[in-house]
Amino acid sequence: MPALNSNILLLSAALFTCSLGSLQAQQRKTVEFTGGARSGMTNSRLFTQDSIPDTATVRRQTGGYALIDLGVNIRPNANTEILGMFRIRNQYGGFWGAGVSFDVRQLWLKGVVADVLRYQVGDLNLKQTPFTLYNPHADRLDSLPEIFRLQQQIVDYERFYMRNTWRQQGIHLATGFQFDRYIKDADVQAYITRLQATDFATRPERLMGGYTLRIRQSNNFSLAWNAFSVFDVKGTALDTATFNNTVQTLQLGLRLRKKISVQAEAGTGRYAHNGGTQNFSLNDYFIHARGLWTSANNKFQVHAAYLNVGPDFRSVGAQSKDVRYDAAPAYFNTYANGRFDRPIGLYDQIGNENLYNVSVTTALQPVNPVYNFVLPFGLATFNRVGAYGGINLRLPAGMSADITHHRLSEIRGQGTLMRTGFSRTQAYWLADIGAAAKWKKSLRIRAGIDHQAAQRNSETEYEKIAFSTTRYSAGTEIEIFRQIDLMAGLAGIRSNGNLLVPERDPFTRVTFISPVNMNQLQFIQAAGFRCRFGSGTWLTLMAQASRYEDARQAAPPYRLNQINIIYNMTF
Amino acid sequence: MRNRFILLLGLIALGTGSCRKDKEQFDGPSLRDLFSEFTLLEPFRANRDSVNFGNGQSLAFSARFNKVVQWNIRIRGLASGAEKVISGQSTAIDAANGLWNGSTTNFPVFQTENCLATLRIDGVKDSFALPVRVTGPKKNNGLLIADFESGINSQWNRFVQSGAAMDFNVKNDQFAPQGRRYLQMAGTVNWDWLIGLIDFPASAYGSGNTFALSTNPDGVYFNCMIYGVPGTNPSLVLFQFKEDENSDGNTNAASEDQYDLEVRVNWTGWKLISVRYSDLPSLVNGQPATPKGNARHNPDKLGKISMLHLADPSAGFASSKIDYLIFTDRPLEP
Repeated sequence: MPALNSNILLLSAALFTCSLGSLQAQQRKTVEFTGGARSGMTNSRLFTQDSIPDTATVRRQTGGYALIDLGVNIRPNANTEILGMFRIRNQYGGFWGAGVSFDVRQLWLKGVVADVLRYQVGDLNLKQTPFTLYNPHADRLDSLPEIFRLQQQIVDYERFYMRNTWRQQGIHLATGFQFDRYIKDADVQAYITRLQATDFATRPERLMGGYTLRIRQSNNFSLAWNAFSVFDVKGTALDTATFNNTVQTLQLGLRLRKKISVQAEAGTGRYAHNGGTQNFSLNDYFIHARGLWTSANNKFQVHAAYLNVGPDFRSVGAQSKDVRYDAAPAYFNTYANGRFDRPIGLYDQIGNENLYNVSVTTALQPVNPVYNFVLPFGLATFNRVGAYGGINLRLPAGMSADITHHRLSEIRGQGTLMRTGFSRTQAYWLADIGAAAKWKKSLRIRAGIDHQAAQRNSETEYEKIAFSTTRYSAGTEIEIFRQIDLMAGLAGIRSNGNLLVPERDPFTRVTFISPVNMNQLQFIQAAGFRCRFGSGTWLTLMAQASRYEDARQAAPPYRLNQINIIYNMTF
Repeated sequence: MRNRFILLLGLIALGTGSCRKDKEQFDGPSLRDLFSEFTLLEPFRANRDSVNFGNGQSLAFSARFNKVVQWNIRIRGLASGAEKVISGQSTAIDAANGLWNGSTTNFPVFQTENCLATLRIDGVKDSFALPVRVTGPKKNNGLLIADFESGINSQWNRFVQSGAAMDFNVKNDQFAPQGRRYLQMAGTVNWDWLIGLIDFPASAYGSGNTFALSTNPDGVYFNCMIYGVPGTNPSLVLFQFKEDENSDGNTNAASEDQYDLEVRVNWTGWKLISVRYSDLPSLVNGQPATPKGNARHNPDKLGKISMLHLADPSAGFASSKIDYLIFTDRPLEP
C-alpha cells in the first residue's frame, strides 16, 4: 500500500480554477464588487413574400434594454468566499417601475475545509464527461465570425454556458491526494443538485447527482470512474411514478510515446420509469476511443476515433440540447397574416437567448436536421456507430486549419431493418494575419464549413433517405484605428432532400416517423464596428440582414433585417 | 506491451460492437405500415356461407393485407336492418379477431335472414362485400323475465295512471329490437311522477318465492333494452329488486333488502342496459341508502322486480319503450 504523503495536498484546483485559483491573491480584500452591465438597442424589420399581401403583421419592432448585474463578493476569512449577484433590468421606455425587473442572478458560497475538502453550495456550473454530464452545444457552428460570436457570447452569459457546463443549484465537493509510490495522485469530486421541485401532486422532487474518481498513475496513464444519476425521491408527490437515469463510465488516458496519446471512455446507461401507468426501462452501453498523434514541432496533429453509442443508451445529462427548436422565438412569432408561426432561422439560432435552456431536461429535445442530424446530441447521440478522424494544422503566416470527417451509421433502423448512413465533414480555417506580420493592429480572417449527409438506399421508395445540409461561414475583423474594429461576416445553410424523422413519446420511444422534405436556404450577413475600451468592455454598432426560404414547405419566405447597438461591460 | 494493450482495446471495442442484436429489430412503427400502398394479399372470405347461431355455430371472416391497417367489417341484416360491427388493426383478419357469434352492435337483433358483410380499410377507397345467410339467430342463456312476445303475463301486476294519452301496452311494429313485440310506456300524468308500473313476482316464473338465480351476486347480470323517444319528456325507468330474505313469499322494504336501478332515458333509440347485481345500490328518493335487511346482495333471494316508468309531472308527455328483460351470468351480448 502506498503511504499517503504526510502533507495531503489538494489537487483539484483545476476544478475551480476560474473562481478559486486566485483565492490567496484575493485575501487582501474582504468585500469586492463584481458583475457586468449591458445595454442594447434594436431596430428590426420583417419582409415576407407571400401570395397574399401580409397586412396583419407588424413590420417593424424597436426596443432596447439596460441591465446591470451587481455582485458582491465577500471573503469573511481566508477559506470562505461568498457571491451574491443581483440583476436590475429595465426595458427602454419602462420608467417608474413598468418594465423593470429585479432578480437574484447568482448566489453561491465556497471554501476549503481543513485544507483538504473544497466545497461550493448554491449555484454551480457543472460538467463531467461527454457521456455523463456535458453541454455539447452540438448545433453550433464553431467557425462563426466575430460579429456573430459577440451575439453568442451574450447567449452564453445569459444562460450560464461556460465551457460545456450546465448551471445547477446544489452542493459540490472535491478533494485530492498525492502519493509517494505507484500512484502519482488521485482526486475525487461529487455533487448533488436539485433538478425539479415537487408540486406535491404529480411531480416528485427530482435530484441530480454524480461523482468522479480519478487516479493518475503517472503522466502517461490515468483512469477515472464516473457516475451520474438523475432520480426522483419517492414519497415527495402523491403520484407514485418515478424516473431514474443512471450512467456509469470508465475513462482511460494513455500516452504511449511522447507524441501519441489515447483517450477512451466506455460505460452503461439505465433509463427507467417506475410505478406509474407503465413501467419502462432502457439499458445500453457506449464505447468511445480516440487516438492523437502530434508532430515533433507541434504544428501537425492527426486524430482518429471509434464511436459506438447504443440505440437505448440514455444520458439526460449529456443528451440535453442547449437549443429548443419548439420554443417561440419571442420575436415576430407569427407572420403571413398570422397564418404561420415563423420558422426558427439562423438569426434566432445564433443570438436569440429565448430559445436556449438553462438546465438539463429529462425529456429528449426536438432535433432540427437543418443544423445537425449526424450527432444532434453531441458524442452521446444514441444509435450511432462508426469512426471519425481529422487533422489540425498550424501553418505559417498565423494560419491554422482543422478538418474532421465523421463516418457513422445507425445501429438500429427506424421503422425498418435498413439503417441510415451518415457522413459529416467539418473544416475550419483561421488566419491571424496581424499577429503573424507583427502588426500593431489586428487582422483576422476566418472561414468554415460543415457538410452533413444522410443516405439510405432501398428498393422501396418510402424507405429511401437522401438528405444533406451544408453550413458555412466566413468573416473578418480588422482593427482600423486603435481599439476600433471593423467586423463583417456571413453565414448560411443549404438543406436539401428527404429525411424520416422519428417522433418520440415522453419515454423516448418512437411513436411515429415523419417524412420531411426540404429545400431550405438560409443566409445571414452582418457588418459593423466595435470599439474596445478594455478587457470585456466594448461598444458595437452592427447591421445584419437574414433570409429564410424553403421551396418545399408551406411557410412563405421571409427576410429579417436588424440594426443593433450593444454596449457591454464586465468588471 | 503498449501495442498489445492498444490491440486489446480495439478488439474489445469491435467485439462488443458486433455483439449487438439490433440488426434484427427496429424502432417505432414499420415504415411499410405507415407509407406503403395497400394491397389485399388474400381476399375477404367467410368460413361458411350460412350460419345457425342458435346451434352454437359462428362465422369466421378472413383476409390478409400487405401491412397493418385499421379495418372494420359491418354486417347488415337485409330484412331486419340489424348491424354488427367488428373492427381491428392488424395485417390479417382471422378467427382470432374476425369471429361473429351472431351478436348485434346496432339494434334490432339479427333474425333468420340474408346479410351482407362489408370490409372497409381506413385510407382505402375500395370496400369488399360478402353475402352470408343467418339460418338461426343467436340464443342467449339466462333467466328471461320479459320479452313481451306473448303479451302481458297474467301473473304480473300492472298499474297504469289515468292520465292523458296513456299507452302502456305491448306493441307489434317495426320498433321491436328483439323478436316482434315490446312494451310501450307513454302518457301524461301532471300530478305524479309515476306513469305506470309492472311487478314481476318470482312466483310467475315457477320457481317458488324467489327467482332461480345464482347465490353469487358477482355472477348475475340484469339486462334490458330501452328506447328513448326524441322530443318527449325524458323518462326515468326505475327497477326495484326486492329480496325475500325470510322466504315468506312477501317482500318488505322496511325489513328486507331492496336494491334499485335508476335509468334516466336521455338518449334516442334503443340502448342495452347491463348491470351486475352486486353493483346495484339501494336508493331512497334517488339517494343512496342503507338496505334494511342483511345488507348483502342475495340474488337467490330475489322475490320481486318492480319496473316503474316515471317522468317529471311538470314536463308533459313522456314516452319510452322497453324489451328483453333478462338475467345472465355475464353482460348480455345480444
